[in-house]
Amino acid sequence: MPLKVIEKRDVEPLVRHLMERFQVVGIKKKDGKNTYGVIESPAELRLDSCATITSPKKYFFPQRETLLQFAVDGSWEPQAVVEAQPRIIFGMRPCDIAATWMLDMAFSEVNPDANYLEKRKRALIIGVDCKEPCDEYCFCKSMGTLEVETGYDLFFTAADDTYIVRTGTPEGEALLEEWGKAREALYEDRVKLRAVQREKDERFKEALEFDVEELPRFLEDSYRSLLWDVLGEKCLSCGSCNLVCPTCYCFNVLDEVKLNLSEGERYRVWDSCQLEGFAKVATGENFRERRGDRVRHRFFRKGKYMKEMFGRFGCVGCGRCTRACLVHINPIEVYNQLKGGE
Amino acid sequence: MMKPKIAVFEFSSCEGCQLMFANLEDEILEVLGAVEIVNFREIMTEKGDDYQIASVEGAITRESEIERLKKIREQAKVLVALGACAHLGGVNCIKNYQDQEEVRRYVYKERAEWFDTIPARPLSAVVPVDYAVPGCPIDKKELLEVTKSLLLGKKPSLPDYPVCVECKMAENICVFDKGMTCLGPVTRAGCAAICPTFGNKCEGCRGLVDNPNVNSHKQVLQEHGLSVQGILNSFRMFEGYLEVAK
Ligand code: SF4
Ligand code: SF4
Ligand code: SF4
Ligand code: SF4
Ligand code: SF4
Repeated sequence: MPLKVIEKRDVEPLVRHLMERFQVVGIKKKDGKNTYGVIESPAELRLDSCATITSPKKYFFPQRETLLQFAVDGSWEPQAVVEAQPRIIFGMRPCDIAATWMLDMAFSEVNPDANYLEKRKRALIIGVDCKEPCDEYCFCKSMGTLEVETGYDLFFTAADDTYIVRTGTPEGEALLEEWGKAREALYEDRVKLRAVQREKDERFKEALEFDVEELPRFLEDSYRSLLWDVLGEKCLSCGSCNLVCPTCYCFNVLDEVKLNLSEGERYRVWDSCQLEGFAKVATGENFRERRGDRVRHRFFRKGKYMKEMFGRFGCVGCGRCTRACLVHINPIEVYNQLKGGE
Repeated sequence: MMKPKIAVFEFSSCEGCQLMFANLEDEILEVLGAVEIVNFREIMTEKGDDYQIASVEGAITRESEIERLKKIREQAKVLVALGACAHLGGVNCIKNYQDQEEVRRYVYKERAEWFDTIPARPLSAVVPVDYAVPGCPIDKKELLEVTKSLLLGKKPSLPDYPVCVECKMAENICVFDKGMTCLGPVTRAGCAAICPTFGNKCEGCRGLVDNPNVNSHKQVLQEHGLSVQGILNSFRMFEGYLEVAK
């Protein structure tokens, strides 16, 4: 795939151009913090700020989404509802790109999920490289997500007054082609890109005290560790860690009947395995009644089960869960402690 | 089909929740299509005593209220507590932490001799309560949901997860990050985290989740600058009747 170059001052016109055909989503400021939102004017887009509160998954898997409409008395066939629109996510970070890959697996491997896949299919992802760690909570380097080779249509890396742009798909290439203002990268640009990448790598430190490939084994050996009870004492079961996580994909399906009592809709909402009701079944039994068991389950999902299922870790090291956790449960510390207890 | 008859009663409260009931405007017409309202001072004068569903607002703060509530319970097939006062005792319970005699003189002034006052309590401290529509004031949508469920013969259910869930879905800035404190992590959701969404802390008006980690949350509040008294005071705003506030 070709390497292109865009002048930084041309980014605003590019965004304006894209806004004609797509809903453009990117990182914006909200009350001094960063969130992904719909870009209303190109100047709003913050390409160089990171650490958003929740992840961009909400554009493929919204917090609440209608799945079908039905008649209470069954007098007409239930109608499936699938909503999607042409959309560009401009400025997705490498960790979120890696997380999107995980969601793609989860929503397509076992039961292909039309609601997710349709939105995903109609979206283009323009990634942006990080210059330095968001803060002390992210550990993407240890999770192997600091660099992504795939999962984007275009990928921007800032170098001096330009962005050096990697094209990841024919669709991404066509986007630049049609805009017409990106030039081919020269030999100097390639040299510059390598230099920028090297400097970047030096700024990120390893947070885990061991090779992450060892993580599933450490977890397995610690299934009965007292650590889970200690964390369970602290955990508020507030669900925040799951809700802000870019790879969590659990949802709950509910029905809502309209006031006329004859029609209704089935919808899904985000769920969280840290909530007390999550593993409760209709008979009233709860498979993970103890808080410590729920905390353990989350870490096993991220560090072991998903790796076994899909070949990659369910944690991309974005640090959002730690930022959101009022009792400071931090995967970096949890994993390092597991290793210590070996 | 006979329309179920609903009666609305009030005890010690500000009548705000009844107003929400009365303010259902368009929706109430549809609700009235399916139910009949027989005893509702806020919006009608006729009284009837043959109701099946009693929606009761307010806390119990006098001996005479205990008797009245027991009569309502005898008549009603289903008793619904409407709003924080009925559901939890609500703000009324703040008085339980003050001198009862002083409270009586403050509230009833020169007529204090005519009235007794007892520590405020929720309806459930006096009679069995079937369902609650929590909140101060109640949420219109939730009131409709409970009404619809009762009409469809389903058990109304409340969320058993904390306000943080709805707060995170709304992608709010956590008020702890703005130097405030919040009861959201232990408070039952269902209000769409309306207070944090508008930049305020959650005061816990919907009551606690079934199994809150109160001890851990008290530590969080302490870490964010509240004294032991400050922590108790924040729980006493709505949870005054419960052990957590004592
Ligand atoms: S954010 Fe923290 S307190 Fe809340 S459920 Fe997750 S680990 Fe527990
Ligand atoms: S577990 Fe935490 S650090 Fe890992 S991907 Fe989820 S939010 Fe990010
Ligand atoms: S719950 Fe709030 S609004 Fe309702 S009666 Fe009590 S004080 Fe008034
Ligand atoms: S503002 Fe309150 S409800 Fe919202 S996340 Fe923070 S603690 Fe939870
Ligand atoms: S956020 Fe808290 S105080 Fe506000 S309405 Fe909801 S439960 Fe009540």
